[in-house]
Amino acid sequence: MVGVGALALGVVQPARAADPVTLTIWTFGDVIEPIMVKDYKALHPEVTLQIKKSDLDPLNGTNMVTACTAGNGPDIAAVEVSYSGYWRSYPRCFTDLRTIKNSAGKSAKDIQGDYLPWRWAQGVGYDDSVIGIPTDVGGLEVAYRTDLFKKAGLPTDRAKVSALWPTWDKFIATGQKYMKSVSKADQKAGVGFMDSAGTIYSAVLNQGTTKYYQNDGTDSGKLVYATNPQVKKAWDTTIKALNAGIGTRISQFTADWNVGMTKGTFAAILAPAWMMDYIKSQAPDTAGKWDIASMPGGGGNQGGTQLTIPASAKNKAAAWDFITWYLAPEQQLKVFKTYGLFPSTPALYKDPALTEYKDPFFNNAPVGQIYSSGILKLKPIFEGKLNRAIDQAFGAGLGRVASKKQTADKAWQQVLTDLKKVTGQ
Amino acid sequence: MSAVVESKPSKGGGVSKRPLTPWKAPKQSTVKPRKVNGIGSLNGNWAYLFTAPFFVMFLIFGLAPIIYSTYIAFFNWDPLAMGDQQFNGLENFQNLLTDSRFWIALGNTLDIWAMSTFPQMVISIGLAAILRSKFLKGATFWRTILLVPNITSVIAIAIVFGQLFGRDFGMVNMVLGWFGIPHVDFIEGTTSSHIAIATMITWRWAGYNALIFLASMLAIPDELYESAQLDGASAWQQFIYVTLPQLKNTITFVLIVGTIGGLQVFAEPLTLGGSMDGGSSRQFSTLTLFLYEQAFVNNKWGYAAAVGILITVIVLIVSLINFFITRRLAGEDTK
Repeated sequence: MVGVGALALGVVQPARAADPVTLTIWTFGDVIEPIMVKDYKALHPEVTLQIKKSDLDPLNGTNMVTACTAGNGPDIAAVEVSYSGYWRSYPRCFTDLRTIKNSAGKSAKDIQGDYLPWRWAQGVGYDDSVIGIPTDVGGLEVAYRTDLFKKAGLPTDRAKVSALWPTWDKFIATGQKYMKSVSKADQKAGVGFMDSAGTIYSAVLNQGTTKYYQNDGTDSGKLVYATNPQVKKAWDTTIKALNAGIGTRISQFTADWNVGMTKGTFAAILAPAWMMDYIKSQAPDTAGKWDIASMPGGGGNQGGTQLTIPASAKNKAAAWDFITWYLAPEQQLKVFKTYGLFPSTPALYKDPALTEYKDPFFNNAPVGQIYSSGILKLKPIFEGKLNRAIDQAFGAGLGRVASKKQTADKAWQQVLTDLKKVTGQ
Repeated sequence: MSAVVESKPSKGGGVSKRPLTPWKAPKQSTVKPRKVNGIGSLNGNWAYLFTAPFFVMFLIFGLAPIIYSTYIAFFNWDPLAMGDQQFNGLENFQNLLTDSRFWIALGNTLDIWAMSTFPQMVISIGLAAILRSKFLKGATFWRTILLVPNITSVIAIAIVFGQLFGRDFGMVNMVLGWFGIPHVDFIEGTTSSHIAIATMITWRWAGYNALIFLASMLAIPDELYESAQLDGASAWQQFIYVTLPQLKNTITFVLIVGTIGGLQVFAEPLTLGGSMDGGSSRQFSTLTLFLYEQAFVNNKWGYAAAVGILITVIVLIVSLINFFITRRLAGEDTK
């Protein structure tokens, strides 16, 4: 094994004659970035990374459940934050990372200080075992089209744009102002201020301190979705935006969304840091027309992943070596600069390499600075076991209001009745 | 299947030029074996050995899961909570029968099944009739191409159709727009989403079934057509009075297989909507999607197992109804 201590100093040390290892990694999207795989291959010629990508729900909801039950999981599995509450209820499915040491002799306890505490907590089992190490932070800001803003008579400078919407009400009002400048024909063709007003829901929800569950020390937490004012606030704000008609009816990550991004069907997206790379690849023709302004209400978070080692992994030592290398600050910085994924290691937030980083695609916006200031405003949120299912029910409720199948009150009532069947309470 | 694809219809127009001996069904054709040779003449014990692989596989991957899921249907089951399962008797079944989500899923499934099965029958038999035509050039090519949709990944199909049926930039809406029809939000509407899904299923299976019908049509003795011609029957009359009745068994077969598949439609609605609830008002949630949602999203495994058992019962009932109706419709058996 190569000494990871030496790697941390950035010294490439020739590999000693090591046994060949094949690490199987289950992941989704771009959690494991190709350029880093190449780097690792150069450092560790004896390690072969076998990466299997799936969609998020099949991966975290299906494959990992069957793998844990059957005891035949991969060496590394990515767990997204919306499933973190579920998996922290089942720590026995994972290797406790406090009990395992990498070749530099470090366990999870030794590296904990490098990471944002609330991101770290999303990978801690209810029995306090450490089941996953955080990858990026999905800091949320507003990506907007300067050309379309100019056409609508709105300011285009990012500071002035941010000043337009200190609150969500002001954000919605700005959207209405934008819509007034859109011709009737364009409105009929589906043009809107933002892509999907429904995305406001999780943005507002994540600005609070509690979501659907309250941490009461049990494995699954206490359900509070029906009474938590933050949930109602997120719901009401979204309904207000829906009624104001500022969004297109396009859903994110659909065919229409990709086309709309290029065509300028919408001028703003609530964009997590990781979405920047997606926009670049889906709408390359819009380079330079985008810019980034700060979130209404201050800060926001969406997404983020932990890398775990399932209990049944065959190459735990090699897997832990890879994880500690891949998620160390140096590597996270490189991933940020290459792909825009925002690091979960706060030491980098003061690093000039990050604070002075500008992205030409986004009109040379200092994306590092903008996203880090938003992320530092966030508070930890307790993620509960059925988070994903509850999210879906509220999302469906908002969908029914958006498509005018139900009134807001009726939809809210139905969400609560539906959720009774899901949660049994 | 390859034998069916490669077989060529006799060339040269006139009926009289066709060989008088009945067309021989290819050996591999599983549709309508003309005669069972081989195993029947061997010692009976060999037959058990030859069929054993299937039954061993069936026991492991078929029967065992059925028994196991029947067992967990009586529990509040959590596969990850080791050994600590709560028995709750018939509660899952009771809850299920009063669960509106289940009935919505059943309604959607039957609707999508009907929308995809019946038009598909007509298309498949029509395609088979065209492929059988003696005037068709490059028959092998056309027969091969019919299989392409079937061997394409369902996910790829769903992605392409998802784009075709897109509300704002989809091609279907673009074409509708030429006729002044306003944009349809296919995924949000109940009937429209069913149409989209049924189209996907039809596109995928029509060609495959056409080949099955074709194999069956080619096995119809030429004498029947010749005598029909002597009686002055037109091509259309030959099709109605000779071809269709001869296809009776094949229609039953295709219908039953199609029904079993149709009641388990899963990948199409999942990929079209992108979520497991089948749309904001569950407008295209199907039975299997509902099962999957219960197990993998809501973590209610016992409940999901109960859904699975009800699906089995429903498939049995519908297949039996199918079977009897097709028998009755096709009139008395000619064999």
